[in-house]
Amino acid sequence: MAKELVSILGIDQDRLRLEWVSSAEGGRFAELATEFTEQIRKLGPSKLKQAA
Amino acid sequence: MAEIGELIEITNTYFCLDCGVCTGSCPVARVFTDFSPRQIIERCLYEIEDLSDENIWSCLTCAQCSVRCPANIDFPEFIRLIRDEAHSKGYKGTLTHNGMLHTIWSLQTMDISQNRTFWVGDGKISEKGDVFYFVGCRPYFDVIFRDINAGSVENCKNILKILNTSGIEPVVSNDERCCGHDALWNGDEETFKKLAEINIEIIRASGAKKVVFSCPEGYLTFKEFYPRYFGDLGFEPVHIIDLLREKIADGALELSEFPEVVTYHDPCRLGRLSGIFEPPRELIRSIPGIELREMPRSKENGVCCGTSGWINCSSCSKEIQVERLAEASATGASTLVTACPKCQIHFRCAKSAFDLDIEIMDLYDLISEHLK
Repeated sequence: MAKELVSILGIDQDRLRLEWVSSAEGGRFAELATEFTEQIRKLGPSKLKQAA
Repeated sequence: MAEIGELIEITNTYFCLDCGVCTGSCPVARVFTDFSPRQIIERCLYEIEDLSDENIWSCLTCAQCSVRCPANIDFPEFIRLIRDEAHSKGYKGTLTHNGMLHTIWSLQTMDISQNRTFWVGDGKISEKGDVFYFVGCRPYFDVIFRDINAGSVENCKNILKILNTSGIEPVVSNDERCCGHDALWNGDEETFKKLAEINIEIIRASGAKKVVFSCPEGYLTFKEFYPRYFGDLGFEPVHIIDLLREKIADGALELSEFPEVVTYHDPCRLGRLSGIFEPPRELIRSIPGIELREMPRSKENGVCCGTSGWINCSSCSKEIQVERLAEASATGASTLVTACPKCQIHFRCAKSAFDLDIEIMDLYDLISEHLK
């Protein structure tokens, strides 16, 4: 649902990610956060800006 | 921003007779006995009201109190102005759906390129033209409320079908923004103004002279509040009801038979706030074979659908909704017809939560389904 909403708003779907990580999976959480940060960094700054 | 004392001056709230008709009429006060419009006014007059008071967010702004007030105090407007003040101090109501709707309209103040016309299909629309169809929030509602089968874009398709059948190919724009109704009633005037400015600019650029609405909130906001903040808009907000009545009267639209008993729920923004009571009833009766039965609380006394502005949806909202649906069933009607996407969403939510046996239908879906 969130992905659909983001796409109607015209925001790149790759900027949104949903993952389920249990409290016992600290390593996996760190891994995902790092990976997603890298992904966002590659995409560069969002085109969203204040309307003129 | 004005202090409460100033707001009392602006809205003539000091005329309050302390009679309590407001609280006696209030659908929230019937359920939450701590909530009282009369007491809110009294506390404001005695200068002991605090902007942190959570009660100010419980008001549905449905105007059931103000239409009965012998001193003509516009309590919803008074509440709206207090919320403005409270919002500027950082207070807000309890956001429903985890603030998702608030996020969506806030993002629309930005320079985004939406894909909100995805539903158009083989409907006929134009880039520029005399008529602009202001779709409203349904493209988002369609996704958010799919689980309760409400707020669907099917309704937009139906409106477009009605317009096309009437020979109108309206402008439908990806750049349309939220009308700002909810931001305004949440006390967030700044966001409201940003959204309104973008909408006005886009509609003016389309060359439209008339803007057609099916959503009562959009209509009221454009009709009442845009001119208040921005003066002459250069285009006229038109409600689809007027257009429909015209087209049915001159035979451009013909309706097929529907032998059912229905009842009609007045949305507060269409009824009490815009004064449109009879036209939707006339439209329903124009369907051959249909029988319209009134609920005890209708027209000026029509009760609210239980929550507004995506804030403070509570057990009180649910109680109001369940009671309303029971009232609708008691008329013997199989279907409750309403004319506001939010009324439909709220009632379908209560219907699915309590497994109630009544259909809730949008007026324009009903008309469109019975177009010959």
